[in-house]
Order: sequence, then C-alpha cells, then structure tokens
Amino acid sequence: MLNTAELKTSRTTGPLVELVKKSFTGRLQSPVAQAAMLEVQNVSVEYGAGRAMAYALEDVSVAFRPGKLTLLMGPSGSGKTTLLSVLGCLVTPNRGSVRVLGNDIAGWSESAKTELRREKIGYVFQAFRLFRALTAMENILLAMELSGRTGRQAREAAEAALLAVGLENKGHLLPKEMSGGEKQRVAIARALINDPPIILADEPTASLDSKSGNQVAELLLGLAEKQNRLVVVVSHDNRWLPLCHRKVVLQNGCLIGDDMTRNTTGKLGRVSRLSV
Amino acid sequence: MKLAWRNLSNDRMRFVVTIVGIAFATFLMIFQGSLFTGFVRASSKVIDASGAELWVVPRGISCVEFGSPLPQRFRELALGVPGVASVRRLAAGYVSYQKPSGQRESVFLLGADPGNGKLPVPLLSAESGAVLTETLLVDESNADKLEVATLPLAVEVNRQRANVGGIINGFGSFLGAPYVFTGYRDAVRYVGLGTEETMFLMIQVAPGGDVETVRQALSARLPQADVVTRSEFAFRSQFFWVVKTGAGGALLTAGLLGFVVGLVIVSQNIYATTMENLEEFATLKAIGAPANFVRGVVLQQALISGAAGALIGLLATFPLVQLTLRFISWIYTPWWLPAGMIVVSLLMCALASVVSIRKVIAIEPGRVFRA
Repeated sequence: MLNTAELKTSRTTGPLVELVKKSFTGRLQSPVAQAAMLEVQNVSVEYGAGRAMAYALEDVSVAFRPGKLTLLMGPSGSGKTTLLSVLGCLVTPNRGSVRVLGNDIAGWSESAKTELRREKIGYVFQAFRLFRALTAMENILLAMELSGRTGRQAREAAEAALLAVGLENKGHLLPKEMSGGEKQRVAIARALINDPPIILADEPTASLDSKSGNQVAELLLGLAEKQNRLVVVVSHDNRWLPLCHRKVVLQNGCLIGDDMTRNTTGKLGRVSRLSV
Repeated sequence: MKLAWRNLSNDRMRFVVTIVGIAFATFLMIFQGSLFTGFVRASSKVIDASGAELWVVPRGISCVEFGSPLPQRFRELALGVPGVASVRRLAAGYVSYQKPSGQRESVFLLGADPGNGKLPVPLLSAESGAVLTETLLVDESNADKLEVATLPLAVEVNRQRANVGGIINGFGSFLGAPYVFTGYRDAVRYVGLGTEETMFLMIQVAPGGDVETVRQALSARLPQADVVTRSEFAFRSQFFWVVKTGAGGALLTAGLLGFVVGLVIVSQNIYATTMENLEEFATLKAIGAPANFVRGVVLQQALISGAAGALIGLLATFPLVQLTLRFISWIYTPWWLPAGMIVVSLLMCALASVVSIRKVIAIEPGRVFRA
C-alpha cells in the first residue's frame, strides 16, 4: 500500500527512481521470483489466409524472469508488438503455448484472461491510452474500480500513485491539459495501481521529449530493479540499450538475438547503433 | 456511470442533439398517444355515460353515431323480461342546426329518457325528473362554433324550433359534428323517427339480478336485435372508429413514427459516440474490464440520454396538450401514458445501444498496441 505521508517526505530528498522504490514498499521476492514469470514456447501468429498467409511471429520461444527490464527490439514489422500482445494475453497465438505466472493459459476463457490482465499485467502504451473525458485521478480510479476497489481508500491510493509519479498536483487535469510526459506518467500510475507483477510497455518514450523520456525510463527501470517486477519494453529507441538488463531481437517474426548484457546506468544515453 | 456520463458530456453538442431527438420522440409518442387515447375514449363516450348495463341495438350496428330504427314495441317486450328494472330509449341522428346568424351546422343530436346514468338530458330539476321540452344542451367546447353566447338561445333544428338551454362539458365531439343533447320525445321529432320507432334501448337490470341471465332472456325475446353489455357495445364502437375507419391507425402510425424517429436519432448518436471512443473501449478491454462493464458503459450512455430526453419531452408535452385542448377537446392524457412512454423511451434507447454494444464487444483489445 502506498504511504502518502512517507512519499511527501521522500519526494524532496531523492530522485524519482528512489521515490518509486520507496513508494511501492511491500513488493517482496516471491517464491516464484526466480522462475519464469512469463513464457512463450514455439509460438506462431499468422495473418491472412491461403497464399496470402504470413507470419507475424514464427516459432518464437522466450521466457522472462522478474527483476529485469527486457528490451524487445527489431525493425518495423518484425513482430515486436505482436509478441507483446501475445505476452499480454491480448492476442491468442495460432500455435504454441503461453505461460503466465506458471499457468498455461491455453483454453482459458475470455473472462479468465480478462481477469488475468486486470490483476497481473500492467500496460503502458505509446499513445498513452488515457480516457480523455476523465481526469488523471479518474483514469487511475477507473482501473481500481475494475478491480473492485472504490471509495476513500481507493482515492487515497490513487493520490499516492500520482504523487509517486510526480503529478500530485495534476490529478484534476484532463489528458488534453497535460504534456506527453505527464500523460505517460499517469498511464504508468494507472498500470501500477493494482500492483501487477508484470509490466508491458510499447514504445513508452516514443512520443516524449528527452526529459520526459528519461523520467519514464527511470520509473520503469525502478519497477524492475527495486520492486522485482518483470518489465518488457518494446522500443526502436537505442537509448534504451544502456538501461535494459536484457535485449531480445526479432526480425521477420523470428527471434534472432537474446543477450543478457549490461549493467544499467539508470539514464537513457547515447549508444552505438544496434546491429541485428 | 462516471465514464458514460463523461463520454457524453465531453461532446456536448452531440449530447444536446441526442437529447433533443429523444425529447421530440417522447413528445410525439405522448402527444399522439393522448390523441389516440382521447379518440378511443370519445368514441364510446355516449355509451359509457349511459349507465345502462345492457343495450339493445339494431342488428349489426357498431356505434351510436350510425344507428337505425328499432320497433317501439321492443321496449314493452324488454320491460316484460324478468330481471329488467327499467328501459330507457335513445334516439339519435345527424340534424341541421341553424345558428342565430342564420348559418347552418350539421350536429349529432341525441335524446334519451332520463335515468340514473350520466347521459345529459335537459331536466327541469334533478328531483322532478321532468324533461324540458324543445331544449338543447351543447358542450362548452362547441359553444363558439354553435354561436351560443347567451342562454336561453333560440335556434332551429331541422327547421323546427328549439332553445339552447344549457352548457355541459365532457362531451366534446370527435366527429367534426358537435354533440347536441335533448329529451327523447324532442329527439324523435327532430330526427324524424316514426311514432312506432325508436333506435336504442338502454336496460337497467334489477338490483341483485344477473346481467348475463337477463341478456340471454332479452336475446331470446328480441331475436331481431343485438343485446350486448355496455362494455361490449363500447368496444364495438371503439373498434369501428379506431380500426374500421382507419383513424386510429393514422394516430398510432404517427406515435410509432415518433418511436422510430427517436430510435434512429439515438442509434446514430450512440453509435457515433461509440465509434469515436472505440480506442478507449479497446483500452478498457485491454486493462481488464469485464464484458459486462464495457456493455454497461454503452448502455448507461444510452439510458442517460434517454432519461434526460424523456424528461424534457415530458415537460414539453403537458403545456402543449393543455394548449391543444382549446382546439381538440377530447384529447386525453391518462396518468399511465407519460409513465409508459418514459419506459418506452428508455427501452428505445436500450435498443438503440444494441448495435454499439455489439461493436465494442467485437473490438480486439490487442489493437491498443497500435499507435
């Protein structure tokens, strides 16, 4: 549970990533922490039919463990977003299996998958996907309402979440009244409000300026490193490379690279062009 | 509820258009419903006001307004049937009414024996039961049309002397020809019935008597006439005027048109709002909103629009019905009609949301990752 008073104190003493670390207390290393939290095996996704049939993903197998920020890279049309959608239980593959938190979701009903998405996965989108008629606060409260959390405690939690992303004074603003960075931070607060162990982010910094991009990157990195969440980021942006713990590369729907490489710096930096 | 309301209020112009459309549809449905209900009621008003438990009517006759003669002796035959307490006669027909200005007007004249019903008869006094001769009663809604400015007023009916002696209310005519009431004997004379003729017999059953038994006995005694209960005759009359003449169909069609217009307006606007927010519905599904929650948002949008529109339509209807009463005296809005039309309006809106609900349920949540 977020502690508003503690956050208000912390807010003045450290960088945003530290704030995130302190704010989301209580996320403990679970017994399954070191096992694969999210895994696809021999997954293929087809589109079209007959001669026009093509693979968005072809026989892809990859597993993700908590506490890491994994970068999914590849050129346009390589299948990154499709893989993210499969990992997020938003698209059902034509072949192969998807395991979430140790459960093979093949054969799960739509309502079961909906519940899984609601409780276990947080999404961050390039286009923010905030509800434009709702304020920042209401966007977060809506996600809580879906999980059955309403009332004063929900409101306090939403206020704390806004504080955690540095928007404590902007809860009343509509998305159209916020900058891109602010919108993305609200989206992250919404994604985290139900405390999901898995965070999937699609080009989270693509629509942001450098400063806002850094803030968002710090937030996501903090979620992986300090809170032991699984964070998967799809991005074309090479500046993510110094941040990620692992780089998975796709091309033409196939997995062509999987590097467990670097020590992170905590900042989006300048790196040499990614070779795939 | 908040998301539904905010989605609507986010595009105020569309919301206003939707509400106005629903308000218009609701108004049209209530107004046409009032015309229809009033027409149905007016078409059996005379029969309902008779107070008689049974009517003896010429064979095949559907309503008072298109009667034909019955033999006068049927009255005596009816009086001889066990269980019959009283028999009142009713003569009616279209006559020419000459106004004080000399102009003529076709009116429907009714003359009945006095009795305990509410059928107007020009009595000297209620206690005496004596009928004023050559005296006419006209409904207040027709007073101007018949040039009744003062009472008594000397006029002519079928070139015979008469006096308008009183103004009544509640008998506004739906025929175009005003109802004019007089005593039975004068009605026979004005209409031109033969001395051995009458037109309708209104039967009062003796206290404690069984209406059905008396009816069967009367039918057996008067096989050349139809013996029907008051409600049967009222239904016959309503069926004739509402269905056989096609008048009711026209009124119902206009009411139905209101429903269809409202349905189309709401459907279009709810659908447009849904399409505009399609990505948001996909996001809702992606972040784990159950299908019922998503359906609920669309349905709530429709019902909020429906409730607001229906309320405004309702508020507009009452003053307009009151205004219309000046021209159409028989228009009638029973209490259940507005209540019923609000329910119909909400159903209309729920129906209008079906297409939109199907659309949002079919959205792939995976589309949220496409920028």
